[in-house]
Amino acid sequence: MKKVSNMSELFERLNDLKVVFFYGQKFIPIIQSIIDFMSETVPLLEDINSSISDSTIKIPKAKDQINNVTNATELATTEILDTVDSISAEIGKVENDLKTIQAKEEERNIIWNQIKESLSKDSNSIDLINKYENLDSVTSIIPRLLQVFDKTKNDVNNIALSLQVQDITSQQLASVNHLIESVRQRLSSLVMHLDETEIKDIESLQAIIPDTAAFNPEAIYTKSKEKQETADILVNNRLKKASQDEIDKLFS
Amino acid sequence: MKKVILVADDSPSIRKFVSFALAMKGFEIISVSDGMEALEKLPNGKISLVITDLNMPNLDGFELIKAIRNNEEMKNIPIIILSSLAGSEEIQKGMEFGANSYLIKPFDPKRVVYEVSKYLN
Repeated sequence: MKKVSNMSELFERLNDLKVVFFYGQKFIPIIQSIIDFMSETVPLLEDINSSISDSTIKIPKAKDQINNVTNATELATTEILDTVDSISAEIGKVENDLKTIQAKEEERNIIWNQIKESLSKDSNSIDLINKYENLDSVTSIIPRLLQVFDKTKNDVNNIALSLQVQDITSQQLASVNHLIESVRQRLSSLVMHLDETEIKDIESLQAIIPDTAAFNPEAIYTKSKEKQETADILVNNRLKKASQDEIDKLFS
Repeated sequence: MKKVILVADDSPSIRKFVSFALAMKGFEIISVSDGMEALEKLPNGKISLVITDLNMPNLDGFELIKAIRNNEEMKNIPIIILSSLAGSEEIQKGMEFGANSYLIKPFDPKRVVYEVSKYLN
């Protein structure tokens, strides 16, 4: 009886094996297609790897170029500011000279009026005085010149104000450089996973970023006074609160 | 004697710009590129006012203000913050640390002169 049961167990196992072979036959095309897919994908992955490596190698150069732009604009801005400074100083000197002339002319006028008064009885002198007074004098031009200088000073001020765009753009570029560095690090780690032999090459091409770089990524160049007004409100509220606290402290 | 103002900013163009605005009004300017350098220049007793940026390498503006306010000899020096950081959080933090004024970049040179005159005249 035991032999019969062993045999039926054997048949059962054979039957199971038959089922495995049956499904195996069904799976073979699927496995084949996976193998085909893999053999097509591997060269593609290698291509991706090499593209990533290439891009990663180029990133430090892009960052250097951004730094060069920042340095060049900074140098140019400083030079323009030097010139603006010098123009402003010259305007200041001429303006002061004109004011001195104007003051002297006022003194001269007082004396002139005294002369006129003392000669008022001599008709010949009066005629000469009238002729002299009808001639253009420097005094009448001075206020106009001072007005021109005032406007020029204001324009110089506006040039200097607009030049602050350099500081804002340099902060924005520093922020872009920071983002590029993050992308480079991600790409490097990706390449590291794909092909370890590439890592050394890429690491050696890292751009030198000063660890002292400080920037505001949200820096915006705007002539609107809105932000300053908001800041003034906050500052005034703070100062009011501080002085109230001081008063309270005195009486506590 | 000319009053001396210390300008701390890592941007050379901003240092130049502030100097341009204040030198015309007869102030002497000492400029430095970070908070650490500012702390080296400050103890000479000549500085009447400090204008500082917030984002600076080595030692930022907040730390510089804190260091000045914690120093017995320098604690009364007026401090003006000059920064592109315009959020209320930064403004309040700056004032809490002990700044006297807060100016936002880009700034009007006339406003800088006005703020400085408030403390030095």
